[in-house]
Amino acid sequence: MMTTNDDTRDIGSTGERQQSSRRRFLAAGGVVATGALAGCASLFGGDEGGDYGPPDYDAADAAMEAMALSEFQGSGAILEGRPAPGGRSIVDLPNLAGDLSIYLGGGEGGLYLEFFDVLEEVYPEFSYTAQSKPSSELAAQISEEAQANQLQADLFISIGAGSLGTVVEEEATRPLTAETVEPVPEAFVEPSNNWVGIAGRARAIPYNTDRLDESDLPDSVMDFPDADSLQDGMGWAPTYGAFQDFITAMRLQEGEDATLQWLEDMQAAGVQSYDNEFLISDAVSTGELDAGFANHYYALRVLNGSPDRPLDLHFTRGDAGSLVNVSGAALLDRDESAGLADVFVRHLLSAEAQEFFATRTYAYPMLPGVQPVGDLPSIDELETPDIDLTELSNTGPTTDLLTEAGVL
Amino acid sequence: MSVSDRVSRRLGQRSPSDIQALVLALLAGSVAVAVLTPLLWVLNSARSVPFSRFFDILFRQTTLDIFLNTVVLVVAVTALSIIVGVPLAVLTAQTDLPFRRLFTVLAALPLVVPSYIGAFAFVSAFGPRGELADALAPLGIEQIPSIYGLVGSVIVLTLFTYPYVFLTTRASLLSIDGRAVEAARTLNHTRLEAFRRVTLPQLKPGIAAGALLVALYTLSDFGTPAIMQFDVFTRIIYVRTTARQVDFASIFSILLVGLTVVILLAESRIERGGETSAYVNRGTDRPGVVRLGRWRWVATLFPLTIAALALALPPAILLTWLGRSTPELAGAAVDFQWAFAWNSVTVSALAAGASVLAALPLAYLSARGDGRLSSLPERASYVGYAVPGVVVGFGLLSVALNVTPFLYGSLAVLVFAYVVRFLPQAVGTTRSSILQVDPQLLEAARTLGKPPLVAFRKVVLPLVMPGIVAGAALVFLTSMKELAATLLLRPFGFETLVTYIWQVQEAAAYGQAAVPALVLIGISALSMLVILGRERYDVKE
Repeated sequence: MMTTNDDTRDIGSTGERQQSSRRRFLAAGGVVATGALAGCASLFGGDEGGDYGPPDYDAADAAMEAMALSEFQGSGAILEGRPAPGGRSIVDLPNLAGDLSIYLGGGEGGLYLEFFDVLEEVYPEFSYTAQSKPSSELAAQISEEAQANQLQADLFISIGAGSLGTVVEEEATRPLTAETVEPVPEAFVEPSNNWVGIAGRARAIPYNTDRLDESDLPDSVMDFPDADSLQDGMGWAPTYGAFQDFITAMRLQEGEDATLQWLEDMQAAGVQSYDNEFLISDAVSTGELDAGFANHYYALRVLNGSPDRPLDLHFTRGDAGSLVNVSGAALLDRDESAGLADVFVRHLLSAEAQEFFATRTYAYPMLPGVQPVGDLPSIDELETPDIDLTELSNTGPTTDLLTEAGVL
Repeated sequence: MSVSDRVSRRLGQRSPSDIQALVLALLAGSVAVAVLTPLLWVLNSARSVPFSRFFDILFRQTTLDIFLNTVVLVVAVTALSIIVGVPLAVLTAQTDLPFRRLFTVLAALPLVVPSYIGAFAFVSAFGPRGELADALAPLGIEQIPSIYGLVGSVIVLTLFTYPYVFLTTRASLLSIDGRAVEAARTLNHTRLEAFRRVTLPQLKPGIAAGALLVALYTLSDFGTPAIMQFDVFTRIIYVRTTARQVDFASIFSILLVGLTVVILLAESRIERGGETSAYVNRGTDRPGVVRLGRWRWVATLFPLTIAALALALPPAILLTWLGRSTPELAGAAVDFQWAFAWNSVTVSALAAGASVLAALPLAYLSARGDGRLSSLPERASYVGYAVPGVVVGFGLLSVALNVTPFLYGSLAVLVFAYVVRFLPQAVGTTRSSILQVDPQLLEAARTLGKPPLVAFRKVVLPLVMPGIVAGAALVFLTSMKELAATLLLRPFGFETLVTYIWQVQEAAAYGQAAVPALVLIGISALSMLVILGRERYDVKE
């Protein structure tokens, strides 16, 4: 039995405690994932979901350790042929202890919080408080608070690089340690380590397969206002951070005049405004809209909840419409809990966490060793525009442009 | 005044009661100034916007659109409220409608439902992701007419504010002199003509008073237009405040406050006009009951429909959501915790306590003082009541950040916001209680040798207690359901019932808000009971 070796070790040593808390983490993570997947399993026709209580530590230990990682994953056909994730394991990371205050940019809300809750369970001395608001709101709030030296949180997790760039420019952040950002590709880390990407989000066009064929959708986002099949059937969320980042990218690539023209043409084509992009994806799936502008994972989440809906994703090529943005984390310039926040971010970049984000939130993982889910094109296959993500922080002219076009 | 006081005054000395009066005036004055701070700050912010930017924002197309939207909404809701409220009042007060008493209560009850809860319930039922859409989807009906926008806002706001018109009209009807109507009938007028030429003009002040209450409420309501996605000033101010765009927020706030002033001016002019008309009759010569004849039972459909839409529908919708839970489509909704309710209770209780303390000097000065100056602090406190919650939130946010950074993000700011908005409720009840205390009681206590403060504490305070308690209860209950300022000012990690419902509403996870929403309706009902209970105590002047 695997456990016998551990029994002979000295119980008082930190190493043993670290190892056992790791195992408890993996076991707890497995419990959370399995419990949550109980409902999901029935959707995909998997085995009967059961009622899993807290694991009996000794008995479940060995079995959990063997299959713990797979419990992080989502369920169903998307996992077929999925290799084990590579990268730094949580087992190898330092403990978390203390209180952490997090500003959580909206959109992910409950799913990220589920992961944070698992961390709370594993590390008994760690607790967090999170306040969820739209990322752009938080960016403005953080900037103002930093100026008055009244920052209320230690960490800012945003759903777009634009908001992250804004708070960096306002000098509200302090750099992450090199060790934390080390496994992430350069394109998704701010040059001075002031923010790091946690999960990738590709701009996409969810469309209703009953109403449209993929060939009806143009390959260039600039052609959308003129497409006949899309008149009066499109939706966007102009107050949403990710959408504003998309417009910033368009501004940087095509210029302000062309962007303004595009905004006006889209309105002339009858585009409807929504509060966030999940609602857009949902509206496309029910036929309320024909197509919309949203991050790729919202469509996958809609399908997870209602697999029969006629929804699919289209990606444009080489322009702002195929931008791959990141949700990321930045340390806020507060003395309390700075070290804790940094190690916390390191946990978000572990193999298990990235697998969680990939299979539960359907985001593009940041670690090269973790694959995106299902038949999503890999990041290399997407023809992304040639834009530096840090430039997305230049949001001022974007809001002006949106206001001038009457969109905001 | 006692002999010793008069003597010392003659001698040019300050008598103790003069000093007391001074202290009282200072206290009241400082409370009034504190309560005016948010509005003053907003005015100051607007002033600091450079002229060119000011006019640039003022004359943008979007600004004009929002202005138009706001005005149209207010006018539409007011008009519709009159159309609903006046006939209901006439039906229940002057006709032989069956179950009159029941319908009177039912017609007034929609005030119990906070309008944003009503909006929430309607959107969850009739919205694109709502129950009706789900129910109709298998029938092949993919889209139902959108409930969002102007139409939805007007319907929801009318349903929950028409009782103001209903109540004031009904009060007027009950005090009309019937003999003038009889005289008109003997002069060969038909019933309808008599109504039009005699009754209606006497009703005008009552209708106007109710209509203006409706207009004020609509103008300052944030929740309903936001949920219905209709761009009016309150919604835009909220968006601009959260985006920390101070120039936009302050200019729009000025415009909104300006509209409020216009409505208040209109109200004062109509009131003054009404005073010169017919004397108030206490109902001994009420006009005779209008017989509806064969329309008797058909006429009950009108109050029934309104009651069904406003009273039965929202709780029914919420109860059905209780039974089912929305599939976790967004994954973005957080679970409800009872700690949220506890937070609501805590902050509202603090607000009630602070309001009552602040109200005492204002009420006492206004009740016992002579001259117009003594009621000035009390009137100033009403300004905070009239200013919409979203403007108070915006003002206090700026004040906290710029003037008192150490208070930023603390509970004190939120409590202060509630005091600013709801102080007049405490002042009103306390003042009317103080008015009922015979001043000679206080003098009697003084002649028995008690120093003034002790006399106050032992004689006046116990008599005034019911008013103070009622005021505290009112502030507590209205603070529990306040929306806009709460969203803007809550401390980090502080969730209340209201903020939870808001969060859930944004994520369209309606099932989770059913319980908190029902709780809020229950609390609102309690506040109605407090108000009605006070009615019995108050001695008619």
